[in-house]
Amino acid sequence: MIESTDSVDRAGQQPRPVNDEVVRITGLSKTFHKRGLNALDDVDMTLRHGTFTSVIGPSGCGKSTLLKIMAGLIPASSGEILLNGVEVTGPRQDIGIMFQQPTLLPWRTSLENVLLPIEIRSGSAAAQERSADALQLLELVGLGGFDQVRPFELSGGMAQRVAICRMLVTGPAILLLDEPFGALDELTREYMNVELQRICRERDATSFMVTHAIPEAVFLADQVFVMSARPGRIATIVDVDLPRPRTLDMMTTPEFGALVRRVRHELNMGIGEGGEE
Amino acid sequence: MTFKPEELAGPVEMSDAEALWYSGKWIDRVPQWVSVTVLGLAMLGIWWLIAELEFVSRILLPGPAETFEELWDTTKNIVSGGHIAEGLWITTQEVVWGFLLAAFAGFVLGVVVGETRLGKRAVMPYLVSFNALPKVAFAPVFVAWFGFGVNSKIVMATFIAFFPVIVDTAAGMLAADDDTLMLFKSMESSRWQTLRKLKLPSALPFIFAGLKTAAVFSVVGAVVGEYLGGGHGLGELIRFSAQTLRIDRVFALIVYLGVIGLLLFGLVAWAERKLLFWHKSEIFEIQGTG
Repeated sequence: MIESTDSVDRAGQQPRPVNDEVVRITGLSKTFHKRGLNALDDVDMTLRHGTFTSVIGPSGCGKSTLLKIMAGLIPASSGEILLNGVEVTGPRQDIGIMFQQPTLLPWRTSLENVLLPIEIRSGSAAAQERSADALQLLELVGLGGFDQVRPFELSGGMAQRVAICRMLVTGPAILLLDEPFGALDELTREYMNVELQRICRERDATSFMVTHAIPEAVFLADQVFVMSARPGRIATIVDVDLPRPRTLDMMTTPEFGALVRRVRHELNMGIGEGGEE
Repeated sequence: MTFKPEELAGPVEMSDAEALWYSGKWIDRVPQWVSVTVLGLAMLGIWWLIAELEFVSRILLPGPAETFEELWDTTKNIVSGGHIAEGLWITTQEVVWGFLLAAFAGFVLGVVVGETRLGKRAVMPYLVSFNALPKVAFAPVFVAWFGFGVNSKIVMATFIAFFPVIVDTAAGMLAADDDTLMLFKSMESSRWQTLRKLKLPSALPFIFAGLKTAAVFSVVGAVVGEYLGGGHGLGELIRFSAQTLRIDRVFALIVYLGVIGLLLFGLVAWAERKLLFWHKSEIFEIQGTG
């Protein structure tokens, strides 16, 4: 990949990453040439260790594209992503990812599904050795005793818990969550948000979640990135300074309501800006 | 929120009120084996009546009694190792070889076609259009090429059973969904690993659908081959019996052809159940026992 002079200049201007910086993105752009679509335009962001970041934006704002580039699944057109100081050029073991669908293999038990990333990278023997860790993870997400159960016996929320374990088993430095609970019903989704917060806190994880539910974005996040569409760029950052651990009761407080209103306002501004098409 | 495995309890007995509610139609209240038996007997009765009243000449349509008698004679001949036993053995060999060759070639080539870009873009359209041809029409060609022996029948059975396997296997290779493929990419899975751990298992339901069709088609292929190419198989015996107006024997022999087909089909279906315990169709059966 040829680096644009622009990003080289930037790299010259900015100091090297500080210790607690997990992800640093500079001047990231993505153009889908076939469709002539400018999906992402000059995105900069920093994710610090142990923080939770939500990204919200209208559909087609490139938020999923951003996540896939961060995961090394598709290349950027220009710009740079550093994960723990090393540029992301493809999929890596220290990147954990989770999708809207649990994407569990139906012929494997929960335990075998959780161990899949180890098995693919290091072989079955290595996976076998890590079973104890996998069982501990299942315990952590509240699925102790479900290790020999197959996906068709699990509810949607339980299946996503297994997917969380599979994401965590390699001990990734960053968790990339692509609308992880978007396919769940509202009540299960709220439960899963509380659970995700607990798991992230216990693992001291750095997380980056794409969503289009404003309350969910605010509930989980330390900062909410609001994106605008065409070209996709980060319009505003809303800091969420609600105390942790957050509870579902907090969602009815005026402070929470004010944050939701603010994010919604910024979103509307973004849509108004890019909505000429 | 913690779950306990006990939550996955099995089916629970319905109350009488529920049972009444769900068994609205009388047919639902009759055990299935009863309805199947009654319908079978009714059809036999109609057959018997038509033969008995001689709407059709008895030579052309023997009644159930003559047919069962002939079936009994045929069975005795088979058990004592007579010429029908020989025919049954020949046809069975043709069918099994035809099926195995079709299954093997169809599976291997189907994986190649479904897994490669060239296969998907260039070969697949040919396969689909070839599949639409009436393949039995090729039978005389195979007789000309491979002679009147067993080989031409095996080739015919293979040829006709091959297409459902290759087409379904190739389609099955595309069954894995995009997100799961993305997941494998994120795990830095090699092409071989993705094939073995994701694409092939995902393709199994399709492959088995193809194999079940192939089990039925390989019998068709072998019999058509025998009709046109002679030999000593069941097909030839049927052709000869029909020519000499021994329709009762034709019926008896067809029963044995059916046995070959059913056994092969049953074997494939059994293997499918063993391997696809995780699949929707099987799960439905597990949970549907109420």
